[in-house]
This record gives sequence, C-alpha cells and structure tokens, in this order.
Amino acid sequence: MKGFDYVGKRMLFAALTVFVAITLNFVLFRTLSGDAVSALRCRQCTQAFKDYQREQLGLDKSKWEQYQLYLEDLAHGNLGKSLRSEQPVTHELWPPLKNTVVMVALGTFFSIVFGVLVGVVCAWRRGTWADKGGLWSGLAFYSMPPQWLGLLMVLFVAGWFGLPTAGIKDPTLGILGDASWWDVLVDRFRHMILPALTLGLVLYGEYALVVRSAMLETLGEDYVLTARAKGLSNWRTVRTHGLRNALLPIVTLVALSLGFIIGGSITIEYVFSYPGIGLEVVEAIDQRDYPILQGAFLLLTLSVIGANLLADLLYFKLDPRVAG
Amino acid sequence: MRRKTAIALAILAALILASAGCGGSSSNNATGSGGSETGNAVEGGILRVGSINYIDSFNPFHYIESQAYNAFIMLYPQLVQYDYQNGAYVIVGDLADSWDTSKDGKDWTFHLKSGTKWSDGQPMTAEDVAWTINTTVKYASGPTAVMAPALAHVKNAEATDPTTVVIHYGAPVGNALAQLEQFFVVPKHLWEKYATGDGKGLKTYAPEQDIGSMVTGGAFTLKQYEKKGTTVFLPDPNYWGEKAHVQAVALTYYTNADSMIADMKSGQVDWVDQVPFNAVDVLKKDPSIVVQQIPGAETTNITWNSNPYKDKNRELLDPQVKQALSMCVDRDKLIEVVFNGYADTVESLPGHISLYENKDLGPLEHDCAAANATLDSLGYKKGPDGTRMVPATTGKYAQPAHPMEYRIMTPTSLDFNGDRAFEIVKEGFAEAGVKVSQWVGGDSTAAYEIETTDHCDPKTNSGYTGWDIAMWDWVGYVDPDFMLSVVTKGQWCSWSDTGWDNPDYDALYEKQGTTVDENERASIVGQMEQMIYDNWVYTQLVEEQYIDAHTTAWDGMDPHLNAYAKMYWTRPFKVG
Repeated sequence: MKGFDYVGKRMLFAALTVFVAITLNFVLFRTLSGDAVSALRCRQCTQAFKDYQREQLGLDKSKWEQYQLYLEDLAHGNLGKSLRSEQPVTHELWPPLKNTVVMVALGTFFSIVFGVLVGVVCAWRRGTWADKGGLWSGLAFYSMPPQWLGLLMVLFVAGWFGLPTAGIKDPTLGILGDASWWDVLVDRFRHMILPALTLGLVLYGEYALVVRSAMLETLGEDYVLTARAKGLSNWRTVRTHGLRNALLPIVTLVALSLGFIIGGSITIEYVFSYPGIGLEVVEAIDQRDYPILQGAFLLLTLSVIGANLLADLLYFKLDPRVAG
Repeated sequence: MRRKTAIALAILAALILASAGCGGSSSNNATGSGGSETGNAVEGGILRVGSINYIDSFNPFHYIESQAYNAFIMLYPQLVQYDYQNGAYVIVGDLADSWDTSKDGKDWTFHLKSGTKWSDGQPMTAEDVAWTINTTVKYASGPTAVMAPALAHVKNAEATDPTTVVIHYGAPVGNALAQLEQFFVVPKHLWEKYATGDGKGLKTYAPEQDIGSMVTGGAFTLKQYEKKGTTVFLPDPNYWGEKAHVQAVALTYYTNADSMIADMKSGQVDWVDQVPFNAVDVLKKDPSIVVQQIPGAETTNITWNSNPYKDKNRELLDPQVKQALSMCVDRDKLIEVVFNGYADTVESLPGHISLYENKDLGPLEHDCAAANATLDSLGYKKGPDGTRMVPATTGKYAQPAHPMEYRIMTPTSLDFNGDRAFEIVKEGFAEAGVKVSQWVGGDSTAAYEIETTDHCDPKTNSGYTGWDIAMWDWVGYVDPDFMLSVVTKGQWCSWSDTGWDNPDYDALYEKQGTTVDENERASIVGQMEQMIYDNWVYTQLVEEQYIDAHTTAWDGMDPHLNAYAKMYWTRPFKVG
C-alpha cells in the first residue's frame, strides 16, 4: 500500500504540475509585446490583411475567451493551428520533434557511455594522470556554453573531417536520381554527428564529474574495503560493489537531464541549422506564433515532468529506503 | 505612356542570351574580387545555394518571408519583371511581350507570348491572367490582401483573346508596371476551386503539401521542399523565356551564417546570396571564391518621433535641433566600425536603389562645431555638467525646463551590431551636449509596439508617445512608392514608425500615385524626399552594401536581380 501511495501521490503531483504549466503556457506568451499579426513586418502586409488575419485567428477575442477556447481544444487533444502556416500544430511539430529526439538520443548515448566510463576510471585511478585528464576534460566541457562549443565544431572540426555543418540532409542527395535507403541513412547520420557530438560533450562533462564523485564516495565505504580484504580483483570490486551502488544518483541525473535536453538543444540546433524542436521554438517566438509555442512548451514541460516522474519511480525501484 | 515593342524585346533578349551564354565573367556592374572567372559555360550541374532566409510558402496569396517571393519568381509567371541594364533597372516583359496604355492611362493592354504552357502541359492564356487579377481584386480585403497592393486602383481585367489581356484601372496609376512586377499569375484550372464562398481557400491552400499536383509556370518547377532545410528546383522545359543553364538549384537555409560560410569554404556551397559583413574579408582572401558588392537596398537611420501631438520632449520636433544632432554623428566611423567598410552614406529615404532618388539632398556634413552653434542660438544653453537645458514653454503643449537627456530605442533584431552603432551616435550627441542612453526594445515586434504605443488610433491622433528616438532600418525598392508611404498619416499604427502627420506631404503622395508621366512623377517624388529630409523625420545614416559570393566553378550571378527577375536564377552557369 505504501508503494501505491507513493506512486499515486507522484502521479497526482505530476498531473497538477501539468495543469499549472498549461495555464502558464497560455499566460506567458501573451505578456510579450505584440501578437502574431503585429509581428508581420512585410511590405505586402496591409492593414486590411492584418485585420482579416486577427479575425480569422481569433486574436480579436478577449484573453479570457481565448483561454477558454484553448482549454477546450486541449481537452479534445487539439493543440490548434499555427498562426503563420495555418496548419495543425501537431503537423508542424511532429517532423522537428522526430529530428530532435534522434539527435538527442545519439548525443545522450555518447555522453552516458563516455561519462560513466571516464568517471569510473577517474575514481578508480584517483590522483593519477588519468584522473586529472578526465577531471579537467569533464570540467572544461561542462563549463562550455553549448553554442560556443558548436561554433568551435563548425570552425575547426567540420572542415578536417569533411562533415556537414547544417541541416539534416545533403542538398544534392537524390535530386537527379533515386538515393538508396543506405545512402539516406548514412547521410542523415553524417548530418547528425556534429550537433549530437556537441550535446554529448557538454553532457559528458556533467556525467563524468557526477560519476567520479559518486564513485569516490562509494569506494570509500566499508563494504568496499571488505570486498578488497576478501581478495576480489580491483575491477570486480569497482564493478560489482562500487558502480552498482553509485548508480543511484547517476540514474536520477540521467532521467532528470533527459527532460531538459530537449529544451537545452535549442542553441545547438540554431548553430547547426538543425531543423528540430528548438529551432521551431526560436522562430515561433520571433513570429509570436502562440499555438506553436504552446504546443512546443507543453511538450517540453511534459518531457520534464515525465522525466521527473520517471526518476521518482526509478528511485522507488532502486532504493528500498524510499519504499520504506 | 510607355510602349515597348516586340522587336525591341527580341533584340534585348538576344543580347541577354548572348551575354549569358558566351561564358566568361558576367558584366553586371558589381564590384568583384577574389578568384578569376574564366572558362566556358557548361550546361548542367546542381547549383547549391546557401541562404539565411527561408521559404515559408509557395502560395502567392499567403506568405511572409522574402525568400518565398524569390521562389514565386522562379515558379510563377509575371506580366513584367525588372532587368538590370547599363547600370539601371528597366522593366522588361516576362509573360507579356509588349504593352500599351490608353490616353487617359486607365486601361493597360498586355500582349502575351503565344504557345505558353503550365508545368502540367495545359495552355497558359490571357484568361489565366484575367482570372487571377479579378479574383485578387474580388477578395482584396481578405484572402488575397497580400497580393492586392500590386493591383491598387484596378477595377477588373478582361481577356479579349487568348494572348491579350486588358486591365482597367479606376484612376491612372503612376507606377502600374512597377506594381504589376510584383504580381504573380496562377493557373485558373487549378486555383478556381479555392475561389468560392469567402475565398478563404485561396489563402489556406498550401501547394507544397502535394508537390506532385502543384502546377507552376515559371522557369523552374518544384522538386523538393523542406521548410528549414533544402528546397530543390528543376528547370521547366515548358518555360518560354531564358532557359536555365543548371540541372537543378538546391537552396539550403542556414540559421547560422558562420556555418554557411564554413560550408562555402569547404566546397559544400556554390553560392551564398547574402554574405555577412564580418565574413567578407575572409572570403575575399580565398582564391576560389568571387565576392560581388553592389549598393544595397537597406538603409539604417535615426528614427525621430515626429508625432506633432506628443506631449514630452517637444524640442525634438524642431528640424533644426534634429539636424544639429545629426551633424554630430560620424557616419564614416559607423561605416568602418559597424559595417566593416561595406556601407555608403545615404540621404534620401528611398535610398540609392530608387529610380527616383533625389540626389540633391544634403549631404549631411559631420560638423559638430556648427551644430553646437545652432543649438546655442536656439537657446539650449549648456548646464554645469555640460548637458544642455531646454527652457520651459507655455501654451497647449507646455513643458517644464528639463535637461536634454533622452533614450534611444534599438531593436535586438538588427542585422548589424546595434550596440556599437548606438555608441557612435551617443558619442556624437555627447559632443553636442545631449545625453542619451540605450533602450533595448526587444525583437522587431516588441520594438514596433513601443513605437506605435498601445491603443494607437489615427482617428484620435493617439499613439506614438513614450519614446523620442530610435535606431532602425528600412529596406527600399526600385519603385519608391512603398517607402514614400511609410511616413503618411494613412500608415499610422501600421507601417509608420515616426508618427509624422503632414497633410501637404500626404497630398503629394496621392498625386504621385496617379501621375503617369514619368518625369512629372519623378519631380513630385523629389519634392516629397526633400520634405522628409527638411523635416528630419529620419536621419539617414548609411546604406548597407549587398554582398554575395560564389565559387569560381560558377559564374553568371547578378546580385542586382535578386528578387527582381527570373534571370537571377536562369543565368548562372557552371564554368568548364
């Protein structure tokens, strides 16, 4: 029953957070100066056109009416239509979301593998050059702004390795003939390398530092000393007694990070002209495209809340003390 | 009245074809630098273009981005278009072979090329032109409002035979051809199903959602579209004009100009349509890249709140004060520091690109000593801290004595370093004893909201309060009509960013719009430019240069034609 209470409370809290986030999503963007129509600064955007647009988009209604309609639509699973393209928000967000998720997954995979590996090695070989190298590289990448690291990649790495710096596909691929699925796959992967690597390196720094710290704490425990006294090999001691017990904060950190990674990739996507959700958000802000912003931020909010919930549930599973 | 005969056009077309097809360097009056352009034209090749502007729509009735306009030029027929010949823009035919006007200037007859076809093989006739015009006029206050300005004063159009269309205007229009240059014809057989009821379908139809069924009639067809990626165009074999030399054009959108330049240097991009100022010197050093510079259309300015009904800091409505402060701004320093030297001074609002630029304006001298003398003579004495004081005034708009301290609003969306530009202006104003601080106005939408102010209403003369000075830019056009309109009362709360209200000017604006005689219109436009200048509605600072770059593997690019002609896309060729 205690377990049910714990899970139930967490779920309820998550649902409440979602509702608050939904309301904030509405209020937040309307505090910005101007709206989607006043954002139109084009020669052909006449006053007649602007008035027509306001009426068509419902921007001539009161804020309260707009809020009611917004909630009503959300309850029906309808995120509305983009004010610019007038296409459904889900239709507009789905392609960039797919692009982001794959790129983020690749970067996160890289960061987890190398972050955990380097963190473990640093802790295991504490005080050696390996430790110092891992520590400094972790600190360096963790402290770099992602967009700055991205620019370094563009200027210094892309040229050396002949990697593309923008978009998700080669502009000439399949233009004059059909490209095989393998060619397309390889091309997509090549375009994903630099943004994923940039994200991966920033996260790598964070993970390596946390893993090293958690491992050092665990390796100083009495049960590790006991394991060593029993004659277990160094590696086995680290793997079975050190790493397994150090996993708790690591799993939590990864779960929490996952929620923020989607939002955190905005600057990286901008640097690499990567058509993901981050780029979509930047342009929607510029264009005051409320439905797109609401849809994207709802997605980001849900991913953070979902990741938090996942972390809570994992804690419950991994740490018997939580379940009581 | 203007008339161009088919013979003249044929000769012109032959000359253009000869110049484009003979290989070697293009003669487009652009200042070029970098690698040498020699070799013969080779047909074919994929032209990879990098751009920081993206295409948001392929529907000419519903678009915002400038790159979409470029796409329309590639895909849809226009009656006329611009060409750039002997250092000047001239109107030439596109779908129209020739045209003539009635004596009263209200009826324009266009003689179309015969045997033209849409991309699906259907005949393209005068009926398509007349239908597009009549439909645009019919729904002008709603679904077709975006293209309607190109048909200002048009009553209707009729196809008198398959190759003749007559456009009837309610009043003579001074810039009818320049307006029609911005009008695109769509295929009636595909689009008429959307022109029913309230006509909303005309706006919501998104041709790019089903490229296979899209019908076009330009030099290219659409092969692939990625809004934030690469859009691919293939030459249309049905096209009647100058055939494209390329096998395909692949236009890639970059959010980051540094990536675009890096890709160009590594050979992944052949042509960059707009090079950022900070990258020009780097590209010029690369022997495999040709950089072309021409006077641009974008002018930067000091925008003065010229609302005659504003209640504060009314001393800034005095043209002498504004002129004096402007004389303290070092424009040469602005050009060197902010634009890396790639800008020129400018005086008129429509800028150097305008056909009717008033070249007698100014020039604004950098002479702060004279400016200080003027301000002294106007009674604005310097206080103990060196800041000038404005004496108290009486009357309807009475204001107390106050120091000359103001805020200058700068939007964050400027395409140059606005902070640095502000610092230079601040230095100049300080020399005149005027203290200014920067007010970051947010992105262009937020900054525009600040300028027009909440509850803006031209009927009650409300709006345009709460700010005094801004720094911003305008992008001009060959025909000056639009630029001249932005300071009219008719644009209050819309395009006006100054709040200027001058009935004499507005009357001239109306007059130039209905003056068909070119010389007479030029004279009126010149007067209007003089009025804007004399009233210091804006202090025009500099005009940015327009800079593009291409690799030596390609040639035939003419930056003058960007957004003006199909030839911009058909003339580039691979160098053999």
